Amino acid sequence: MIARRDLAVTVAERAELSPTCFRLVLETADEVAAVPGQFGMLACGGGLDPLLRRALSIAGVSRRGGVARVELMVKQVGPGTAALHALPTGTSLRFLAPLGNGFTLTPVEGARLGLVAGGIGLPPLLFAAERLASRNVAFDLLLGAATAAELLELDRCRAAVAAAGGELVVTTDDASAGEPGFVTTALERRLDGGRRYGRVLACGPNPMLAEVTRLARERGLAAELSLEEPMACGVGVCLGCVVETEDGRYVATCKEGPVFPVERLAARWWP
Amino acid sequence: MSVRLAVTVGAVSLANPVLAASGTFGYGLDLLEFCPPEALGAVVTKGLSPRPRRGNPTPRIVETAAGMINAIGLQNIGVDAFCREALPDLRARGATVVVNVFGERMEEYVEVIGRCERDDGIAAYELNVSCPNVTAGGMEFGHDPGQLETLTAMCRSATRRPLWVKLSPNAPDLVATARAAVEGGTEALTLINTVRAMAIDAEARRPVLANACGGLSGPAIKPIALRMVWEVHTALPAVPLVGIGGIETGRDVVEFLLAGASAVQVGTAIFRDPAAPLRIVAELERFCEAHDVEDVTDLVGGLQWR
Repeated sequence: MIARRDLAVTVAERAELSPTCFRLVLETADEVAAVPGQFGMLACGGGLDPLLRRALSIAGVSRRGGVARVELMVKQVGPGTAALHALPTGTSLRFLAPLGNGFTLTPVEGARLGLVAGGIGLPPLLFAAERLASRNVAFDLLLGAATAAELLELDRCRAAVAAAGGELVVTTDDASAGEPGFVTTALERRLDGGRRYGRVLACGPNPMLAEVTRLARERGLAAELSLEEPMACGVGVCLGCVVETEDGRYVATCKEGPVFPVERLAARWWP
Repeated sequence: MSVRLAVTVGAVSLANPVLAASGTFGYGLDLLEFCPPEALGAVVTKGLSPRPRRGNPTPRIVETAAGMINAIGLQNIGVDAFCREALPDLRARGATVVVNVFGERMEEYVEVIGRCERDDGIAAYELNVSCPNVTAGGMEFGHDPGQLETLTAMCRSATRRPLWVKLSPNAPDLVATARAAVEGGTEALTLINTVRAMAIDAEARRPVLANACGGLSGPAIKPIALRMVWEVHTALPAVPLVGIGGIETGRDVVEFLLAGASAVQVGTAIFRDPAAPLRIVAELERFCEAHDVEDVTDLVGGLQWR
């Protein structure tokens, strides 16, 4: 297991990615050895309100000089993420990371991997896509959003997919770009057309993950889902972020996940 | 100047007055690289029941202004798994362990204590009679002085180890429940547990939590906790108190000691920062140095008023 640490980080960059989402780049002198799917808990500032850190999936890690750069993507949904958006560059924060497990990125003989991202579910899959591209493992990336304006990091997605010789599939709910409809409809269409995926890796809103689960079960497809649940601690002690597993237990998403094979989750977890 | 940080809570000696609160520090070994349990005054375990408990459906937590509401429902691995899997390591590390005891019926509290009695390395039991998130047991016993006295007396006769009772801020008469626990034979009182609370989603017109209500913790409840510690200390000055509620800094600890607590527990702050208890010990030491306090015990009950 990679050692988790409460890293002293500074906000190095912020960039708008869409009307609601932004990129944060954090820099730290420490080593950060995260794998795609892992996350960290980022303090929103120094005050008592918002009280808790925010759980954010890691979108990439690189080194420049002697400094590690951790890339995050954040959707503004409330006061905590708004506070993060307002932080000036250079602000010092704490980032507890890397936490949780990651996606299985090993290639599958004779089949591509299928990466399925919905909205702000992209970060762990962009991280995975760029890792796979660097290892020359073939994959398709299916990227869905509500509108064209909410499609994140299209150029990087395109570049990663092109490097490994796969297909980039874009969908929008309002038909303003790419194929109209949900990203899972595009996935089903490809499966119907005979495309074989050795493993599907997915992250996005729960209805999307429920649909990936249905497809995986119906077609005997291996699939791993990265879940998002309300989290207070991120380290398995508050038990706020539990999901129900097939054996009827509640397990902490932060510790036993956030990536779960579809068969590990209780069928009734999905409404 | 070196500050003496050691305190006692009744018969229990603690290396410093800062404890990790039940339900915020796992079984004592979950955050080793941030906060080794032996560096704290004591660790209070997650509430243990005779058998494993699944806990409540989700959503279980929601953040509120300077606080959070939880309705975990006492999910735990059960007392036997704790004694087999965690207690030996805690003992080997030299941690001071307080076992938080929970039951749906009075006999179950005795059952948990009975299992723990077979093992060494437990400094005290803390009876959880104030969890707002379970339908049976818990808060029922904590709200009725008669039942609380009976429960405490039953547990008292089950062990020679020190007994603490964790009081509910939701009881109709706090001092009456405190007295009942003391009559039943408890050495010390922990206060306060979470404050029963609710969050509502205006868009969905629904409670945020699956359980509808839960317990509020964090800095939002600190003034309530201080008032309750002070009231119980005033009414029962001979009874050692362990203060808890929204403690984030060493200065907060000083406030609780002045109100009458002999030690404190840090809870929600651990969710913000897994090393919070250690930071708070260091801040407390610095406060004492800066204010010429040679022994933290000198602060206990030192509030000046009238």
